Amino acid sequence: MIECCPYPPYEGNEKRGIMEEALETGRPILETRCITKQFPRVLANDEISILLNKGEILSILGENGAGKSTLMNILYGLYRPTSGEIILKGKEISFSSPRDAIRAGLGMVHQHFMLVETLTVTENIILGSEPSKGGVIDYQLAKKQVLEISELYGLHVDPDEKIENLSVGLQQRVEILKALYRHAEILILDEPTAVLTPQEVEELFRVIRALRDKGVSIIIITHKLEEVMAISERVYILRRGKLSGEGDIKDLTKEELANMMVGRDVVLRVDKKGNGKKKEAVFFIEDLSVLKKGGNALLDSVKLDVSPGEIVGIAGVDGNGQSELSQAVMGLVKIDKGSIRLNGKEISTLSTRERIDEGISFVPSDRQRDGLVLEMSISDNIIIGRHDRKPFVRSAGRINHREIRKYAEKLAVDFDIRTPSVSVSAASLSGGNQQKVILAREFSRSPVFLLLNQPTRGLDVGAIEYIHSRIMEMKQKGAAILLVSLELEEIFALSDRILVIYEGQIVRELKTNETTDYEVGLYMTGGRKKGSLNDGK
Amino acid sequence: MTGNKTGTKVRSEREHMKKALDLISVLLLAAGAVYYLGGSFSGLAALSSGAALYLFNIYYFQGKEKTLSAVKKYLSRLIVPLIGIAAAVVSGAVIMLLTGYDPIESYTALFYGGFVKNWYVAVLNATPLIFTGLSIAFAFKAGLFNIGAEGQYYIGAMAGAWLGFKLELPPLIAIILVYAAGSFLASLWNFIPALLKVKTGAHEVITTMMFAHIARYLSPIFIRAFGGDPATSTHPYVTWELPESSWLLSFKSFIPDANYRLHTGILIAVAAAFFVSYVLENTKTGFEIKAVGFNKEAARVQGISVGKNIFIAMMFAGALAGMAGITQVLGLDHKLFENLQAGYGWNGISVALLASNNPVGVIFTSLLWGALDAGGQYMARTTHTPNSIVEIIKGIMLFLIVAKYIYIYAARLIKKKKGGGSV
Ligand SMILES: Nc1ncnc2c1ncn2[C@@H]1O[C@H](COP(=O)(O)OP(=O)(O)O)[C@@H](O)[C@H]1O
Ligand SMILES: [Mg+2]
Repeated sequence: MIECCPYPPYEGNEKRGIMEEALETGRPILETRCITKQFPRVLANDEISILLNKGEILSILGENGAGKSTLMNILYGLYRPTSGEIILKGKEISFSSPRDAIRAGLGMVHQHFMLVETLTVTENIILGSEPSKGGVIDYQLAKKQVLEISELYGLHVDPDEKIENLSVGLQQRVEILKALYRHAEILILDEPTAVLTPQEVEELFRVIRALRDKGVSIIIITHKLEEVMAISERVYILRRGKLSGEGDIKDLTKEELANMMVGRDVVLRVDKKGNGKKKEAVFFIEDLSVLKKGGNALLDSVKLDVSPGEIVGIAGVDGNGQSELSQAVMGLVKIDKGSIRLNGKEISTLSTRERIDEGISFVPSDRQRDGLVLEMSISDNIIIGRHDRKPFVRSAGRINHREIRKYAEKLAVDFDIRTPSVSVSAASLSGGNQQKVILAREFSRSPVFLLLNQPTRGLDVGAIEYIHSRIMEMKQKGAAILLVSLELEEIFALSDRILVIYEGQIVRELKTNETTDYEVGLYMTGGRKKGSLNDGK
Repeated sequence: MTGNKTGTKVRSEREHMKKALDLISVLLLAAGAVYYLGGSFSGLAALSSGAALYLFNIYYFQGKEKTLSAVKKYLSRLIVPLIGIAAAVVSGAVIMLLTGYDPIESYTALFYGGFVKNWYVAVLNATPLIFTGLSIAFAFKAGLFNIGAEGQYYIGAMAGAWLGFKLELPPLIAIILVYAAGSFLASLWNFIPALLKVKTGAHEVITTMMFAHIARYLSPIFIRAFGGDPATSTHPYVTWELPESSWLLSFKSFIPDANYRLHTGILIAVAAAFFVSYVLENTKTGFEIKAVGFNKEAARVQGISVGKNIFIAMMFAGALAGMAGITQVLGLDHKLFENLQAGYGWNGISVALLASNNPVGVIFTSLLWGALDAGGQYMARTTHTPNSIVEIIKGIMLFLIVAKYIYIYAARLIKKKKGGGSV
């Protein structure tokens, strides 16, 4: 029946029965056969054959860059495959644009939402397929239709509200409604949980199940194992553009999934040893406030402390003051009130330079904007900040290129920076290696206090694993570490204590081993707001 | 032990030898450059033998691999500009053919006029251009567009005319003082734009441009104030001639057959280019300026003061552009006359762009620019081809360079968009 590549094309597949079984039951609604997509430099999809049954929830699991989005974009008509076929309800189809895909009953919620912020929910939903009466958009009718659909699927949202006033979770809901409004029978969700809190994830899963019960077939993309286990019935695993596995969820364990995803055994949990007696704190923030121009607080009376050998995690939804907090610590933003102390010394009045000299290292969240000078060489990026110090500079401000090179070459080995030479530009490195350049620079300063802002953002599992182990090493060496992350998983994996930040305030302090991600998620969204910090202890 | 010792000895002997040979090649190159820029083509022979010796040294002491990679390195830097020049020359030929001029005859005249017959004019043209080009290239490295170099040129020229006239000191001392004070005044001309940039973010393109206009129209007033005696002079728009003690040395004083107008300002310009290159590549100030120019945010996070470096870059750029004016007055004109069309500041933008802001590259692009102007005049005199064809060729070269920047910029934008793709 399928000639191009006798599938399954991957090794060691003992469960190939599923495929035939599915074909026999005659339920498949959508199928790809040997889809290949060659980008100028990457083979993003290599002979991928998957199959979606009617009314099922299918997961596609894979690391960043595995080719998941590419495959979905091909299904949705955004890209044309280099070769391969798509079969929809038994007929071969070829979409030349998303318009065709929508007409054929496909809907997609992209990784990044595509909503118009200043328009209302209803307007966004009908955009592109407006019901009109003699050329005039019939807003009332549209609103009625939107309400009907949201009733039907239990997707409640105020149709007259502007998008900019909605939380991320609700915006996503609007995206789903938009697809349903266009009569989607197949709904593709590309990493829908990446931006959500645990509560919102749970809510999303409830919606997805409701959709399935109404007969919608769903493909959900993710790189999180728990979610695959929680929501889907079947899973395909992609690795470097190839299908590396598939199976029924009930037959698979998390470890098996992880191995198929990464291609080797992975340590899912970092070893949190060295958690002995807590030392006296060395880093303090007290009553720290940063106000917006208008006057409302971006940071509101923040108070925290970190001890040597301790990792304190700051959990929160993006945009709740995390970036202001790190800017305030580094002296990159003017603070309106409060004090920051390191080793008993007030540092809030010092320049960034002097703070670095006091022993603060900082890994910023946006490595390309704040972390690296991409046009400069790897070695320059490794010593920047100490470019005016011995041994990198001789008398009279002359740079000692030889010392710089020697030092950079040593760190490139120590930090496993994969590059042909340290004199190539930082721009030529992959994301993971760029991050290692930053770690090499910051960690090699032997900081007393280490501020990490989303240290593994956008990296693949291998790089994350490596960076986590280096962070734990710094902890063992006695650095006081403040870890800001949007990934609860990361916070839980690394920190000893968790502080939850919400609207610029630390609303809660929790011990990692006495709490759950569910509880943290609740505080992150302002639920059970601001009980005193001490109750429940 | 002993073997080791003799090994070290042999090695150090070899090293001494290499150093000595390197020194000879550098001396040959320098002497060749001086003579060539002085209009003597014997300098070319010295230049090429210096280059050959340099390569031979690498070959002899480091082997074939290194030699090839060195040659490759220099060629790869030349390849893009050479393609641009070739494309412009071909386009020029096409235009000439379409408009009924003989490209072979015209180009022969252009080349002969620019690089042989009137080579000294090319050098004279290039001298101020190197300074203004350096000024703009340096500011570019800090991410700044010193579009007002023209204004700083005038300040330098006025300072040169005034101080050169007033200071009655022994020759060398007078010249050094004029350069120091004049370039200081020219850098002050960028003080307010720099301050505004750092404190309020006011864009330097606007502020330096405004200051350039002020400086340009200040010069006629200055000339009238310090000008020759209006009663007797046939030229009321010229200042007094400077005393010879503040003239720059002319090439004629040591190369007898050099053109009498040709002065050693070009050597100062070339030295300045190497100095700027050294500052950028080998000093911590250069390092910081580049970091700020490429990525302010990352520099700031590393504790590098963005404001301070913008300030330094603006002031230094002002001083460099000022030296163009000083050199022109002390070397060539020996007085200041009203010449609002000189345009060295504007042309400096072209040569800087053409050299991709490489300071040493600016020497070559300025000489090319100068030769095109000199040759263009010669061509217009001796053939029927109008001078404007040279402007067209220059325009095409610049267009190609700008297109390259647009291409790089667009590629980066696309990459950025893509980069934001997955979380
Ligand atoms: N438009 C494109 N042009 C070139 N390469 C691309 C493009 N889109 C994605 N890629 C590359 O294809 C690979 C797969 O990317 P993607 O499908 O986005 O992965 P995932 O969604 O699994 O993280 C990556 O290496 C990515 O850099
Ligand atoms: Mg993706």
